[in-house]
Amino acid sequence: WALQFTRNNQYSANLALTDPEHALKYNNFYELGTDKSDPYRYADRLKTDGWTVEVTGECLKPQTFNMDDLYQFTQEERIYRFRCVEGWSMVVPWIGFPLAKLLKQVEPTSKAKYVEFVSIYDPKNLPGQEYRVLDWPYREGLRMDEAMHPLTLMATGIYGKELPNQNGAPIRLVVPWKYGFKSSKSIVQIRLVEKQPTSSWMAATPSEYGFYSNVNPNVAHPRWSQAKERPLGSFFRKPTLIFNGYADQVAQLYTGMDLKKYF
Amino acid sequence: MNSLWRIVLLSLLCSIPALDLGWRFYHFDLGANPVETLQHTTGDWALYFLLATLSITPINNLLRPRWSNFLAMHLTRRVLGLSAFCYAVLHLLAYWFFDLELSLPLLVEDVLERPFILMGMLALILLIPLAMTSTAAWQRRLRQRWQSLHKLVYPITLLAIIHYVMLVKADLFQPLLMLLIFSVLMLLRNKSLLKNLSQR
Repeated sequence: WALQFTRNNQYSANLALTDPEHALKYNNFYELGTDKSDPYRYADRLKTDGWTVEVTGECLKPQTFNMDDLYQFTQEERIYRFRCVEGWSMVVPWIGFPLAKLLKQVEPTSKAKYVEFVSIYDPKNLPGQEYRVLDWPYREGLRMDEAMHPLTLMATGIYGKELPNQNGAPIRLVVPWKYGFKSSKSIVQIRLVEKQPTSSWMAATPSEYGFYSNVNPNVAHPRWSQAKERPLGSFFRKPTLIFNGYADQVAQLYTGMDLKKYF
Repeated sequence: MNSLWRIVLLSLLCSIPALDLGWRFYHFDLGANPVETLQHTTGDWALYFLLATLSITPINNLLRPRWSNFLAMHLTRRVLGLSAFCYAVLHLLAYWFFDLELSLPLLVEDVLERPFILMGMLALILLIPLAMTSTAAWQRRLRQRWQSLHKLVYPITLLAIIHYVMLVKADLFQPLLMLLIFSVLMLLRNKSLLKNLSQR
């Protein structure tokens, strides 16, 4: 697959990119192990041949897409900020297409209030899934309006190339105004549902990880402050921006909501 | 080999992890999150050295006294204990300098608001009197009380392990392994259990 894409400047932050050495070798991808160096080390344990993404649930035209189908969507490059709940951050050029385009194809019904994302389950190959560190498969979710937001991206590439396995090949979600764990990797199923789904992290530690998980310097994680972040490769921290710097585009999704309660 | 040389040699061995960090720091080779590398590595070694310190008594009890004297286990324990203290100080500095830019108010706020930092800080503060009274002169001066004072190393190690357990996001394997090793080392202080073990 020759990667064809154009830069989308409207949705790109004008920021210096993180050194790819860092973004490609320092990852949280517990399916491949919990150490930051595990995903790169065990990358070849993730088998992506014949990959399909099943889109199902509350829609008129449920459909299973193979990667060729997904590459049919116009691929664009966007430079996004990425903020991990642990307090580190990066600036990454993703390649992909808006999730909204994919969802429109299956024609969601009025009952589709939320979108649930299910990641790969392959305990025979994935070293991290030998242990129940999390309730596998990894599950995440978005509210319908968050999923349809133009910033919400299905990513197929990074730094001008196809996604390497450790970054969630062959296709992953990127939601730049939320903590990194909301951006599911290696997605195999997308379900349109009526009720708010429970993510793997919510199930693991409900007091620490909520459904929304919007980047917010004013709402501390129960165990650490979120006021600052350390860009990968840097020694010192800088202030974290509300909604990770995307407030102009997304704050209206949450008007009237108590962001401390809906963390 | 006289005791001074033993101490120098062992101290050099114990400082290898710190020298390695210093070397990698100098060559900008601490990975994507260099501060995390500094914090985690110094914290890991502080805990390893605490556990190593606690392993001296069981090893001593299992060895014949002659061997124990020959190996100067009491000196070894002193160097290991002081190494634990040094790595704990480096651990605090790596956090206080790079996370809080040496601000005292922020440090106090963190200690009061974040239980896992409180646990770590308590462990480090309790280590200070032990490090200060580690010399033979202090050992003579305090006599019986020296023994009881230095038993503080048990709660200190437990606090350090709790500090570790509390900061982990999901994978508790490593800190629980530390807890297991700590428990075994505590059990091996039980004289009657040791007698049974050595009679077999």
